[in-house]
This record gives sequence, C-alpha cells and structure tokens, in this order.
Amino acid sequence: MKVWEVVKGAALAGAAVAATMAAPSTFAQQYSVWLVENSRFMNVPYGAFMPDRAFVPGSTSKFNNINLIDIPVNVGVIKGMVNGKLEVVLADAGWKQQDYLKMTGSAHWAALPDQLKLLGISADQVTKIVVGHGHWDHAGSLSDFPNAVLYISKKELDGIQWAINYPHPRISATNISPGGCARTPACGYPPKTLDEVYGKVLGGKAVIVEGEHQVLPGIRIYPAYHSHTAGAQLLAVDTGSSVGTLVFGSDTYSSWQGIRDWMMANPQSSADTAQQFLAYEMCYKLTNNNIGNCISAHEPTSYTKDYPITSNSWVGINGSRMAEITLAPGESSKKK
Amino acid sequence: MPATAPSSRLSPRIGLKQIALAIVILALSAFVLYAAVRETGKQPSAAPSAGAAFSAGLAMGEHSRLRALTPEEEAYAAALWPIHSEVKLAAMRMTFAGLNYKIEHQDPAKVKSTVQPLTEAFQSAVRRTGGLQPPESLQDAHATYLDALGLYAEAAREMIKIADDGRDQHLVAAHERSERASHALLQLSDVLWPGEYKPN
Repeated sequence: MKVWEVVKGAALAGAAVAATMAAPSTFAQQYSVWLVENSRFMNVPYGAFMPDRAFVPGSTSKFNNINLIDIPVNVGVIKGMVNGKLEVVLADAGWKQQDYLKMTGSAHWAALPDQLKLLGISADQVTKIVVGHGHWDHAGSLSDFPNAVLYISKKELDGIQWAINYPHPRISATNISPGGCARTPACGYPPKTLDEVYGKVLGGKAVIVEGEHQVLPGIRIYPAYHSHTAGAQLLAVDTGSSVGTLVFGSDTYSSWQGIRDWMMANPQSSADTAQQFLAYEMCYKLTNNNIGNCISAHEPTSYTKDYPITSNSWVGINGSRMAEITLAPGESSKKK
Repeated sequence: MPATAPSSRLSPRIGLKQIALAIVILALSAFVLYAAVRETGKQPSAAPSAGAAFSAGLAMGEHSRLRALTPEEEAYAAALWPIHSEVKLAAMRMTFAGLNYKIEHQDPAKVKSTVQPLTEAFQSAVRRTGGLQPPESLQDAHATYLDALGLYAEAAREMIKIADDGRDQHLVAAHERSERASHALLQLSDVLWPGEYKPN
C-alpha cells in the first residue's frame, strides 16, 4: 500500500510538472511594425497644435520658443502571420484627395499603397484598417484597400450624426465660414470621407466597434471616447518582441511630447481635456510606463532621435518618411 | 624597304576610341548650349487662374501658386457658399440614412422617410445654383457644381427605391453617384474656398 501511495504521488507530481511545461506563454504572436508618413502639414503655429506650446517671442523656455512646426500624418503598419494567414493591419488610413493639398498646406504626400510597396506589401494584402477616428486625414484612403475590413467605433458615427442633426446652425455646421471649420463637432468629416466609410459598410467590410474589441491575437482596440472626437479609440499591439506593447493613439495622441509632458494637443470641440489625459494615462498603463511606445499620429519630432521609437527611419517617396519599429522573425529590414 | 607616305608620318592615327570621345564631347556641348539658350530665354509662368485650376487638374506643386480670386469670382463664391453649406449637410444626412439602414434598423421605409426631404433639398439647391451668374472664368466650375447637385438628387431618388423592393443594390447605385458628387464638391472647394478644410 505504501509503495502504491508513493508511486501515485510521484505520478501526480510528474503530471503537474508536465502540465506546467506544456502551458502556453502569455503571448507568442510576433508582429513587424512600421510607421509611415502619409503627408506633412507645413508651417503650423505651435500654439494652434498645442496651446501650452504657444510661441512667445524672446522666450528662452523650450516650451515656448518654437513658432512654426511641420506635422506629419502618421499611419501604423502591422504585419504578422496569424494561424497561417498573412494579416496586415493599418492603424489609420491617411488620405488621398489631392484637393486637400493647398487647403491644408500639405507637402510630402505619397499614396499609401505606393508607400506600402516599399515595405513589400501590396494594397490588396491589407486585411484590416482600424481608424482611431473618422477625420478626413485618417479615414481618407479606405477605398484603396479593397480587401481590408474597416474597424470604426459606433460612438464616432453617432457623434457625427448628432452634430449634423443638431438644431443650431453653429453646432451642425461642417464649416461656419469659407475660412475654416472652427473645429465644430462636424468639422473634419467632409462628405467624401463619409462616403469612404459608407463604401466599406455597403461592401460588408466594416466592423462597427462598441467598447473594447480584439482585432487579432495581441491586437486590441480600447475606447478613448471624447479624447479627440466622440468615438476616438486606441489600438494596442503586443508585438511579442523585446519592444513590447505599442499603443497607436491616432489624434488622441496627436503629440507624443504631449503624453510625455501632460499637455493637451490638437483641441477639438468634440473633445474633453480630461478624456485626453485619461487616454494618456491608458498608454502609461498599457506600456507599463514605457511611454516611448505611445505612437502619435502627428508628433513633430517623428522620424528623428527626439522621438526614439521612430528614429530608425529613412526618406521614401516625395520626401515622406518611414520608420522601422520592430521586425518579426524572418522579416527582412526594408530600411533604405 | 618600302617608302613611307609622308602623310602617314605627319597625321595622327584616329581610332574608334577617339571618334567616340569626339561624339560624346560634341553631344555634351550641344546639350549645354541648348540649356543655356533655354534658361536665358525662360520667362516665369503666370500663376494659373481659378478657372484654369479647376478645369486643368493641376499637378501637386502648382496648387500653391494659384492667384487670388477676382472680385467677380469672389462674389460668385460668396453667393454659392450658403448653398454649398446646405448641400454638404444634406449629403452627409443622406449617407447616414444608408449607414443607419445597414448598421441599425434595416427598415427600407425609414430610408425613404429620411431621404425624401433631402431629394427636395438637392433640387432646391439646383434651382438656386442655376440662378447664379458665374463669371466666364468659372463657367466650367459652375457647370460641374450643377452636375454634382444633379448627381446628389439622383442618388437620393435611387435610395428611396429601396422602399419599393428592399434591394440593397439601390444603395450601392446611389453611393456611386454620391461619391462622384462629393469628389466634385472637393474639387470646387479647392478653388473657391481654399480655407474650407484645415488640418485635423
């Protein structure tokens, strides 16, 4: 009997050890990630972008001694094999309508499909596009990616609809004057951009997101409502590499320096400073305080050593820039 | 010993290498001469007009050189602006009628009840725009804007048909027209209201 008890105990202990060794790691998926500059807004007054960074002539403070900045429109490119299938996810989708060039003082625009070709990715390989919000410079190229499923938040669509149906002309206006939209709630959503979104919905290639949503293993949407627009959302990507988790924040993270220095950026009437700050806090949490991994859509120091996660960069088409953030095993560098 | 011809001693041997080099030098000289003549004779081109900008489909860099609108063009832009503001809102509401049908209620009758008033709004915009007197330089732009309004009105009429047979194909056909119209609106905005959209 005693022998049997010993044998039984050893067998049970052995089984427990075996089970532990067979348990999967927390996250094994690995993704390659790049950042692509779709275009650049030139000569933007710093104070219009970040009120706390308004230029003060003669100031020696690093926060107030820069008058004009150039602001990139950054798109995240995430690529990996998931269950034997190639997945390419875009964090935001840039824009392509050439009429915006002069209107918005843009330069260094390049068609996103052409930029992806430099990364060895064709437009029809893009499987998913997660837009952080629906403004024209973030959801403007959806129709260039015929196989991609759009992920847009229901709150975003509800917010636009609330604004355009509000019974006061100053609130429902897409523009209050020919001189600009004055950041009304419906500003930034031209009919052309809404048509891009609608095209995806009509084609059965849209997921209307409510709250948190898993896109793929290790890729998750987090709501950040009213941090920039009504339905703003973040995209967290666990790269499975030493880089760790990246958080693409679209315009909620308009400025990476804003996250670092706790300053608001890119104010909108549909946004609430407190919500933007809570979204900053979310990045601190999701990256385990490694805020270098918070990916900004419009950080002026993008593609330089001053924004380290984007510093492994090179110049691509028409002077636009690209950065390699991490490569999955087997992925070759595309840096030129 | 055979006599050597005096000319063969005095003239240098001209081989293929020398001929090729001479051709290259001649070609380069011709190119430099051509470039010099071209550059010294070059006049700076005048900035394109609003009308030319609209109809010519300018290349990227040329947009930044557009000249200011004339007083007549400004007057036309100012008169069209209130119509344009209403048209944009109506277009967005029409898009949302389709979005809500697909995402929420799938009720063709609701599409009809939402879009019917918009049909009238687009037709009113056509009448009001038709009554404007564009300057000659903006005749093409004016015609294109009227076409865009017509496309929006067609899109609205097409969408309403879903109430008759419940077929999504009406929404797809309407969307195709709406996309063309919204693209035309942007093209005109670029010329008439260059401050309309700002970085967001």
